Amino acid sequence: MSKELIVLDNLSKIYDGCTTALNEINLSISRGDWTSITGPSGSGKTTLLNMVSCLDKPTSGSIMIGETKINDLNQTELTRFRRENIGLIFQQHYLIPYLSALENVMLPMYYNNNKDESIAIKTLKRVGLGHRLHSIPAKLSGGEQQRVCIARSLINNPRILIADEPTGNLDQKNGRVVLNLIKEIHEAGNTILLVTHNSKIAREGDRIVQIIDGKVSMSNMTVIN
Amino acid sequence: MFYQILKKSLFKRKGRLIIAVIAIVMGVTIPAAMFTVSLDVNNKIGAEFRKFGANLLIVPKSDIIPVGIGDISLTSVTNQQYINETDIYKIKTINWSKNILGYAPFLYQVITAKSNGQEQQVVLTGTWFEKNTTLEDGTNFLTGVRRINSWWWSVEGNWIGDLEFFNFSSTTCMIGINVAKKMNLSLGDIFSVTYQDEETLSLEISGIITTGGTEDNHIFVPLEVAQYLTEQTNAIHTIQVSALCSGCPIEDIASEIESEINYIEAKTILQMTNTEMSILHTIEMMMTIVTLIALLATLLGVSTTLTTSILERKTEIGLMMSIGAENRKIASLFLTESLLIGVMGGFIGFIIGILGAQFVSITVFNSFVSPQLIVLPIILVIASIVSLFASIIPINRALKIEPVLVLRGD
Repeated sequence: MSKELIVLDNLSKIYDGCTTALNEINLSISRGDWTSITGPSGSGKTTLLNMVSCLDKPTSGSIMIGETKINDLNQTELTRFRRENIGLIFQQHYLIPYLSALENVMLPMYYNNNKDESIAIKTLKRVGLGHRLHSIPAKLSGGEQQRVCIARSLINNPRILIADEPTGNLDQKNGRVVLNLIKEIHEAGNTILLVTHNSKIAREGDRIVQIIDGKVSMSNMTVIN
Repeated sequence: MFYQILKKSLFKRKGRLIIAVIAIVMGVTIPAAMFTVSLDVNNKIGAEFRKFGANLLIVPKSDIIPVGIGDISLTSVTNQQYINETDIYKIKTINWSKNILGYAPFLYQVITAKSNGQEQQVVLTGTWFEKNTTLEDGTNFLTGVRRINSWWWSVEGNWIGDLEFFNFSSTTCMIGINVAKKMNLSLGDIFSVTYQDEETLSLEISGIITTGGTEDNHIFVPLEVAQYLTEQTNAIHTIQVSALCSGCPIEDIASEIESEINYIEAKTILQMTNTEMSILHTIEMMMTIVTLIALLATLLGVSTTLTTSILERKTEIGLMMSIGAENRKIASLFLTESLLIGVMGGFIGFIIGILGAQFVSITVFNSFVSPQLIVLPIILVIASIVSLFASIIPINRALKIEPVLVLRGD
């Protein structure tokens, strides 16, 4: 089995034929690594994350995740691949407002044809929300909502956890709780790709990749450009 | 999980749900009313046909005589014509004679009935009850009102026959239920009838008839008795004919009878119900047009409501897609939602439609309609189809949502 889990080869994304968000990025991420992606606003960090999350398609170049060439997948295959391999944590803790914490966590399981509620309960307990299973998002604090998102991202045992500013909307205390959870997940062997403005959080990872103007400008471990 | 999402999302958007259901209700109420009225009236007419053993009525052609002063025509009078009793057998000489199951002549005359000091003007009807006639080829043919209408006429007591010997001064009769009630008569009672203060007959009640029709107001005696009392030998007013219509159109039989007896008109019962049928058809046509317009408006209304609902749920849909919902899962959620809206709207529309049908029926036909349960599945199917059609465009929009744009806030 190759050590590299994600390989981006000359990856470019150009919006509307003129705005270059990513410019021929070459990057490889190893299995089990925590890679922090930093850079100024509009540098292309989130675009890069969307490509790796299979939420968006590149204009040119290729993405390999494991043995799968993402470029070759159609929309349905991309959805299935994302569901089975990638856990997503957003900056705004997107949750379905009328579903309970438990139901929100079970949603990706339902899409994956898994109805085992006990797994969802166990995962919510793991993020410290065993007592808020049946609360709807409006009844949860920001930190709790983000923890539900983390539980949801983990529910299908993804190989990669992708987090876009996961502590961006949280106070310091809740931010710390969420960060500790991510560290735990990393220590359990998951590959983590985390976008952050916060250099302190970035340093929690094994490696920092800085993106400026759509290009990888620096990596404290590996630079392929 | 699917039903949890469905239930909670519908509950969350009660307002939109109610608007969509109201749109469906408005669209299907008219077809529900239309189907109910139409089926009920058809059933009633059908029931009348079934009850009415005879399906041809033979009447003499009437002469219309214009009446006026000088050159000015003021009105017209009808010269009373009769059918000659001796021509009745000709009905059985037509090419379709095997299809003629039976017939009965009728002679009507208003007479005065007297009982217990009470006098009443009543229609006396002479007819054949069960008469053994001889056809042209010498064969016997048992016919009469009992042969063609026995299961339509409900008789308390006994039928009277034509084969008995009649004593014209005192004979048996059958009376309609309304006559019995009005004159306080019962089985076995004897009363007298007088025609133009001249001839008087004593009649003993053998049977009381209930048909739900005009027969309930008549006194029935054998044809010979009526002819004797009214001094109209061989005269009859009408003949009811029961013809078997499988394999030949009733109109052909009617026209053949008209050829055989050239001074009569043979009318099918269908012709006689034409007025009711044409009113019904006009209503049906108008309602069909209104229904189509209403359903189109409903389609647009529901489609707009669902589109608005989907736009409101853009982030939710994008999130579902981002965490692994395939298009078919998203589509099935909205299709089920639409189906539920259709079923709910259809059911309420059916109930309101029945009330509307009562209003239409009382206004136009002066009678209540019975709820037709068969209309319910029809309306539910129509409502569901409209609702599902209305959801096609909104669902397409939902499936075109790009999660990356939605989650970015675009």
